[in-house]
Amino acid sequence: MSARPPAIRVHDVVKVYRRLGRRPHGTLKSALLPGRGRGVRSAAPVTALDGVTFEAAAGESLGIIGANGSGKSTLLKLLAGILRPTRGTVSVSGRLAALLELGAGFHPEISGRENVEIAGLLLGLSRREITRRFAEIVRFAGIEDFLDEPVKTYSSGMAVRLGFSIAAHSDPDVLLVDEVLAVGDEAFAHRALERFAELERDGRTLVFVSHDLPLIAERCRRAIWLDRGRVAADGPAAEIVARYRDHVATGEGERRVGQAPGGERVGSGVAFISGVQLLDTGGRPAGRLRAGQPAALEMTVHAAEPLTDFVFGFRVVTVAGMVVFGINTALEGLRPSRFAGAARVTLSLPSLDLAPGVYSLDAAIHARDGAPYDYRRDVLRFEVTSEVAAAGVWSPRRTWDFEGDVEWQEGTGSTRRS
Amino acid sequence: MLLPLAPYARLAANRALVRALASRELVARYRGGALGFLWALINPLLLLLVYATVFRFVFAPRADVKPYSLFLFGGVLAWAFVSGALQDAAETYRSNGPLLRKTTVAPEVFPAAAVLARLIHLLLALAVLAAAIAVAAARGSVSPGLAALEFPLVLALLTATVLGLALAVATLSVHFADVRDIVANLLTLAFFVTPILYPVAAVPERWRPLLRLNPFATFFSAIQNTLFFFRPVSAADWLWMSGAALAALVGGGSVYELLRDSLAEQA
Repeated sequence: MSARPPAIRVHDVVKVYRRLGRRPHGTLKSALLPGRGRGVRSAAPVTALDGVTFEAAAGESLGIIGANGSGKSTLLKLLAGILRPTRGTVSVSGRLAALLELGAGFHPEISGRENVEIAGLLLGLSRREITRRFAEIVRFAGIEDFLDEPVKTYSSGMAVRLGFSIAAHSDPDVLLVDEVLAVGDEAFAHRALERFAELERDGRTLVFVSHDLPLIAERCRRAIWLDRGRVAADGPAAEIVARYRDHVATGEGERRVGQAPGGERVGSGVAFISGVQLLDTGGRPAGRLRAGQPAALEMTVHAAEPLTDFVFGFRVVTVAGMVVFGINTALEGLRPSRFAGAARVTLSLPSLDLAPGVYSLDAAIHARDGAPYDYRRDVLRFEVTSEVAAAGVWSPRRTWDFEGDVEWQEGTGSTRRS
Repeated sequence: MLLPLAPYARLAANRALVRALASRELVARYRGGALGFLWALINPLLLLLVYATVFRFVFAPRADVKPYSLFLFGGVLAWAFVSGALQDAAETYRSNGPLLRKTTVAPEVFPAAAVLARLIHLLLALAVLAAAIAVAAARGSVSPGLAALEFPLVLALLTATVLGLALAVATLSVHFADVRDIVANLLTLAFFVTPILYPVAAVPERWRPLLRLNPFATFFSAIQNTLFFFRPVSAADWLWMSGAALAALVGGGSVYELLRDSLAEQA
């Protein structure tokens, strides 16, 4: 097995973008009169990749992750041969198909049938190969009834399915996939993933570029994390994804803590909330939390005068506005006696059983009849991350059990099976 | 292989794609209209009608070339091919930007497909021209000769010239937006300094060497010779046209090879 030559070999690749003139287009004048500040050399060169080296074996599935601008798409385009490296070498063995944009190049005025043929030729299939796979492509895309209609009449979902189907059936040895599963519906994404698994079983090499970290962790055996054009880490996908997440959480996440996105605030001001924080396992303020880990909601409150009628409460709301969870001291059965000066109110959750996603927090202090002293909506937003992309909002602790003849591949999945 | 000719070798390998892209242009263009593809024949027919009318009732036709409208027709159709192909080539990377950036296709197929689509138009229009010549011959106003058989070779050399220029124009217009306008204006100018509206014989003797400097002049004089006067093309003209075709292919191929790597970044 190890005797097989690598399907992808990238050696010390540097890619520098130099722009002739400015976008959208340079003009001859700007090229001929370089002294005018709009000259050919006016735009500073941008180093998108800086000394990237890796190999991928045939049959390997490789995920490429990293922040925007880290060079992921540039790397994919170099692999595809659309761009050439400024320095270093890129070699890919076998037939290559790139899913950089599904349905790129579909002509709106001509039929699905005619577009399949052109898209197939663009992917390097011969006419005969296209004819042979035509029925399968159309069936997979589920557009049989619209085959002879112009593509402009297709829904965007249909066009995407057709684009995917053509590429996925082009029999590639190396398939490059850039963020394409973000479009299309759940059912389609599911079929697409099945098709990827099929290709992988056939010993094809898959390279995914995605911001969908759970997808990378689940789908790929190996991941490369690019940071500003360099390989920051390379290893087992789940491990690299976790490390990348930690990096993002400590870097970018904390800046968001306590920042009110400018939410609505109502109340008499008899008592007021001066700060709201979300705390992670270690009691540190965080903007990003891992599902299933302990967390705490904390607010700092002040009473302008001593109060005997007060209720503290929190609400967790999805970005779409659905209330996920709301609780206050009155609902818990606590009856107020006295609150004066400054105080800190903490609601601890032993396990944050939320599905991955972005949530918004409301915090309130009000009278028992509901009259608000200080009611702050959307006071902070936080993100829950998880390696498992559960749907919905609730991600309870769980185990799976299987009785009968059901088997799973060694080392896959994260919950216990028996 | 000589490096500047490498793009043409790749075009030959990708000919199925070039054909498909060209036919896509034609199909997309004529689909939906009630007359559909017939327009490719109706357009030149109407053009011929306009010339025949205008030069019979409005302008005095040139006395040295009769029937003048038939004389005009071949040159005008061939010029529509040249100017249409070059202007389409200037646009092709802009209109196919997504394909260029997102697929692994060899970029030279796009200008080649633009040239091919225009060539197909010309071939259809030439059927109308052939019919017009037949009618004129039946009425005794022209007497077709075997020299007409030389026309396909003239057209082949013209197409090669246009292909080379199209590669250069397409590549340069990605980097320099002005190229499109420069090409459009040069073509307008070239229309008048090319023997299309007039025969070469109408140009004063001492200016004729200057006419040679226009690469299209010899081609269009050869078109007039083969399709209207039915005179064989001179050896000097063949040499000149072959030289022009080779120069255009090598020049266009060189420009393309030089700038190809940055096409996907810039388009």
